Amino acid sequence: MDKITGLMRTKAKELLENGKVERVLGWEKGMFFYSTPPVFIDKPEDAEKLVWDDFAINNLAIYLLDKRNQESKVALFVKGCDSRGVVRMIQDNQVKRENLYLIGIPCPGLKDPKTAVRGYYKDASQVPKATKCEECQHPNPVLYDEMLGSQVEEPPEKDRFAEVSELEKKSADEKYAYWKAQSDKCIRCFACRNICPACSCQECLLDCSKPRWLDKEVDVAQNQFFHMIRVWHVADRCVECGECERVCPAGLPLMQLNRKLIKDINELFGPYEAGMDLEQRPPLTEYDTGDPEEFM
Amino acid sequence: MKAVSKEKLPALLEELAKEGTLYVPSSSGDMSRFVPWESDVQVDLEHNTTMSPKEVLFPQTEVLYNYKFGEENTVEPPPPGSEKIIVFGVRPCDVQAIRCLDEVFLTRTYVDSYYKEKRDRLIVISLGCTVAEDTCFCKDMGVNPVEAEGADIVLFDLDGEYGFEEKTDKGKEITKKIASQLSDTSKKKPKAPSFTLQANSNGIVEKLQKMFEHPIWEEVCQKCIGCGTCAFLCPSCHCFDINCKNTGACDGFRYRTWDACMFNDYALMAGGHDVRPTKVERIRNRYLHKLLFFKERYGMFLCTGCGRCLRECPAGMNIAGFINQLEEVTVDG
Repeated sequence: MDKITGLMRTKAKELLENGKVERVLGWEKGMFFYSTPPVFIDKPEDAEKLVWDDFAINNLAIYLLDKRNQESKVALFVKGCDSRGVVRMIQDNQVKRENLYLIGIPCPGLKDPKTAVRGYYKDASQVPKATKCEECQHPNPVLYDEMLGSQVEEPPEKDRFAEVSELEKKSADEKYAYWKAQSDKCIRCFACRNICPACSCQECLLDCSKPRWLDKEVDVAQNQFFHMIRVWHVADRCVECGECERVCPAGLPLMQLNRKLIKDINELFGPYEAGMDLEQRPPLTEYDTGDPEEFM
Repeated sequence: MKAVSKEKLPALLEELAKEGTLYVPSSSGDMSRFVPWESDVQVDLEHNTTMSPKEVLFPQTEVLYNYKFGEENTVEPPPPGSEKIIVFGVRPCDVQAIRCLDEVFLTRTYVDSYYKEKRDRLIVISLGCTVAEDTCFCKDMGVNPVEAEGADIVLFDLDGEYGFEEKTDKGKEITKKIASQLSDTSKKKPKAPSFTLQANSNGIVEKLQKMFEHPIWEEVCQKCIGCGTCAFLCPSCHCFDINCKNTGACDGFRYRTWDACMFNDYALMAGGHDVRPTKVERIRNRYLHKLLFFKERYGMFLCTGCGRCLRECPAGMNIAGFINQLEEVTVDG
């Protein structure tokens, strides 16, 4: 970990000094042992702030949206999930590949600061691996200009849809009760939407006031509507980075919803993993004569 | 002083629940919050809640009035409640936040009737803190962690029992009702907890007064993702939006919901002008409201050091860290 920190700092300093990029996105050490939040470096001397440790879990790709209308060149450090987030943004035309310098970091699986906070842990070693990291199938960056360190071993293939399959077996009433209980917890903070690399609309329809698609009331109907619509809008573009579920203050199992849709899409259009391949477009944005059309 | 043994607490709560609607801190599932007490509710007095108690006085969604168009057009606010509202186990940081909300909703000529009618029925039973979390900094924000100023009754954690002191007339009145649950203790008030997090708030008002155009805001705002987690969890944030909904051709209701100045469309106006178009202006506004404007206007910080935003911010924003960062800032005359 310390070796990677050193490499990050050297690389960032070099890129800024020779003007290859105007900004470097990485992580720095925060106040608590479990905080390693994003940092934005535009001066070579600030490269010393960069840190790679167990808690460097934030997906940096979303910060590319902050300057999406500017042509500035940015370098960012990307783990497996982060790199897929970047692929997502390039495919969604939010950023240009040529404006990015991607420095890949093969990821051993990290820890979630929220786990440490909510469990009142006093020590990094006590904190278990983050849920999203336990579920991760692709820890190595899929898109990069250079890699710091060598690839990590890909985890054994697991059935990512196991939980979804279990839920599918429930009766309609049971499913309704389950999802109602989940969406009742929602406080409509929109952390899930704002942290999602697939949610890049300049004006989200769920914020739109004319027409008011989503009412501002926090109640059963509106909460269910919000989550259903968001998961449909993200559907085939979700890269399963797991950030939405991780940042939710109310603990909604959002990845179950996302994976349900991904499972359905796999069944309808063939297996597809968003964000793995820059050239392979999401199935709902492409037409193939082999697509199912039972209703025709 | 008076006391209630921890074993007797469920019985005390049962008695209190007879006096009105009793709210207790509970951590069922994933997000702890204040919920109406029932005998099977798991009461969690060990840690503070994720959702603050402000939702008892200032619900996230609140109907302001129902309207009908017809031969006569009518506007009907919901009927006021009549029961007492007893909130049990409110930490000093959250009691301080209620004092802040009182300033906003009850003073300076306009009185918010929806807040007032609940506030008048509210009885605050505060629990002082013997342990500060690593994210707590109430002391630096002018709050006494041992004994909340403004509570109707204060409790002290004295190990096997809670010390119990009535402070106000409301507090005395309700204490009479549950007196049979109380005993006496010779134990003294506990010492103040020690804080690992220090956020030196001395002199920040004078500094911030000169920092509106300071470049620090551009640096500090960058991590923020513009969600409402901090504002919604914050015990003192009180912005709201007002909307209407028709339920039929001729009737509907007007309601308010929590709003957050962090949302990118918060300051968007009809016609398209946005006075806070980027994160720079929005973060600057939030921090200045918490640390400067409210102190200037009402004499107390709007941030009460509860630490919830530090704990749950998805991006690691840290207002206490910002206060410490101010020590490095020098402003000219």
